[in-house]
Amino acid sequence: MPDILPETTPDTRSLRLGVAGPVGTGKSSLIALLCRELSGVLQLGVITNDIYTDEDARFLRSAGVLDPERIRAVETGACPHTAIRDDVTANLLAVEDLEEDFAPLDVVLVESGGDNLTATFSPALVDAQIFVLDVAGGGDVARKGGPGIARADLLVVNKTDLAPYVGVDVPRMVLDATAARDGAPVLALSRLDRESIDALTTWVQTLLAAHRAGAHVPQDPGPMAPHFHADEDGNGFLHTHEEGDASHAHDHSHADEHDGAAAEPVAAAGRD
Amino acid sequence: MSAMPEVDGEGRAELMLALLADARLPTGGHTQSAGLEPALRAGMPAAQVPDYVRARLATVTRVEAATAVVARHVALAAGPVPDGAGSPPAGGASSAGVPDGVASAARGLADTWLAWTARTPSSALRETSRRLGRGYLRLLRRLSEGHPAVVALDEAAVLVADAPRADGVPDPGAGATSAARAVPGAGTDPGGRAATGRRAPQPPRPVVLGVTAACAGLSARQVARLVGYEDVQTVAAATLKLEPVDPVVATGWVVAAQPAIDALARAVADLTDPRAIPAHGAPLVEQWAELHSRTTERLFSA
Ligand SMILES: Nc1nc2c(ncn2[C@@H]2O[C@H](COP(=O)(O)OP(=O)(O)OP(=O)(O)O)[C@@H](O)[C@H]2O)c(=O)[nH]1
Ligand SMILES: [Mg+2]
Repeated sequence: MPDILPETTPDTRSLRLGVAGPVGTGKSSLIALLCRELSGVLQLGVITNDIYTDEDARFLRSAGVLDPERIRAVETGACPHTAIRDDVTANLLAVEDLEEDFAPLDVVLVESGGDNLTATFSPALVDAQIFVLDVAGGGDVARKGGPGIARADLLVVNKTDLAPYVGVDVPRMVLDATAARDGAPVLALSRLDRESIDALTTWVQTLLAAHRAGAHVPQDPGPMAPHFHADEDGNGFLHTHEEGDASHAHDHSHADEHDGAAAEPVAAAGRD
Repeated sequence: MSAMPEVDGEGRAELMLALLADARLPTGGHTQSAGLEPALRAGMPAAQVPDYVRARLATVTRVEAATAVVARHVALAAGPVPDGAGSPPAGGASSAGVPDGVASAARGLADTWLAWTARTPSSALRETSRRLGRGYLRLLRRLSEGHPAVVALDEAAVLVADAPRADGVPDPGAGATSAARAVPGAGTDPGGRAATGRRAPQPPRPVVLGVTAACAGLSARQVARLVGYEDVQTVAAATLKLEPVDPVVATGWVVAAQPAIDALARAVADLTDPRAIPAHGAPLVEQWAELHSRTTERLFSA
């Protein structure tokens, strides 16, 4: 029986790479950069998520770095979070259409609608994700953390060429971010810095190789960052909220919870 | 349908009804305002939302509900899931290897699909319905994989693709034969297909919903109420994003619409023939939908 409305078959399955981060940090620019650098060697597609219509898609099409047909827009309406995490239906359909129309694609880049620090992709939609910050947001943002900052596959600190003008110490910011990420990769990027651009494309190529080899396992940065619970004695512990973890209400009082035998010492950084 | 005594069909139907009516269902429904956003932009006051809801239930939503009811009915002809997976169908089979029940359901679904198309003059509304239908179909494929009614829906898409002026397919231009549009095998063309227009026609939401109802064991009246409720709740929820309204007030609108939803369900629940699907139009709703499809800076896609 011919399946005339096929799901994407495994052999046409691309690496789906999400690009998230706050508004204006350079997500579209980074995607344009990757298209410019890689479209000669890889088959690429792009999905943009926009609150209103297709502004990001039009920006990317006008950049002339990729066949405009390969750039598709998903309209998120009032729910940019929902479209990349809770109900990824529209995005998955768009990705599958691209993969079908231009099979075989190597990489589909998915830009999130610019949203606040907590928006991350569901691993049901993307295999890996880049979280983009910029120096103009201030040197402290990386240290403050958040799911994308702490656990995206790659954290980009963008627009380093602007650092002198906004008084940000880039090496310091990268160190802070690396600490917040337990050593996971952080890349200081500027479109004016050739070396950083090469580091970015190398990272993508390495990821693609791992994906093809079956060595890359999609990770969920999670809706909540690990956070510290202090008790009255000044002890406390780090934990994360696993999805479906019904034992914690999100509005719980951090001060008096967990003060029983179950509490682990602070150094153990236990997960519950 | 009576062949599975060990399954609590009623409990399952109730659960599926709750599931399908839940806004958390992953079908992309959060992008929808059921035409409310363009209505408000066109100057309709928020206080008139209850009237707007009733007008929809009497017109465009009635067409949707009737389509879903008929699609459910004709999909049932495909029969239940066969016992031994992979074993040949018990009934007769046509030369193409499609069981007779599936072939008959496919014809019924194609007729229902085309009847809906003829009764939905706004291309913006048709496009929205097709997009939503894809979301529901994605879910249906996963939850009812291999169900004969789902197979029949795939067959119906082939029939609709070959129908004159088929839904979802640009009018065949010079040289565009049905082979060029035909679907089986086209997706495996190794050269890839650059044109989006050549994808198989997508069934509209009410047709997919009718097939879902058949697979889930919903009654005709349940699926009709579901369409009515979903429409009203979509409008009420969208109001909260567009106008400063107390959510309790909006929820009250949904409750107040119950008699109108029930009237709709009673009016369409006994339909079985695609030709009997009513053709109520709502020119203003259709015009607003057309305008909205060309509007930028909208919060809802339709
Ligand atoms: N100086 C400098 N500016 C950059 C760099 N990368 C991007 N920009 C600028 O930053 C601004 C925002 O870039 P976008 O790529 O549109 O950012 P975005 O994250 O996609 O924005 P939204 O989609 O609106 O959230 C633009 O004016 C870019 O030209 C960079 O490396 N250096
Ligand atoms: Mg952008």
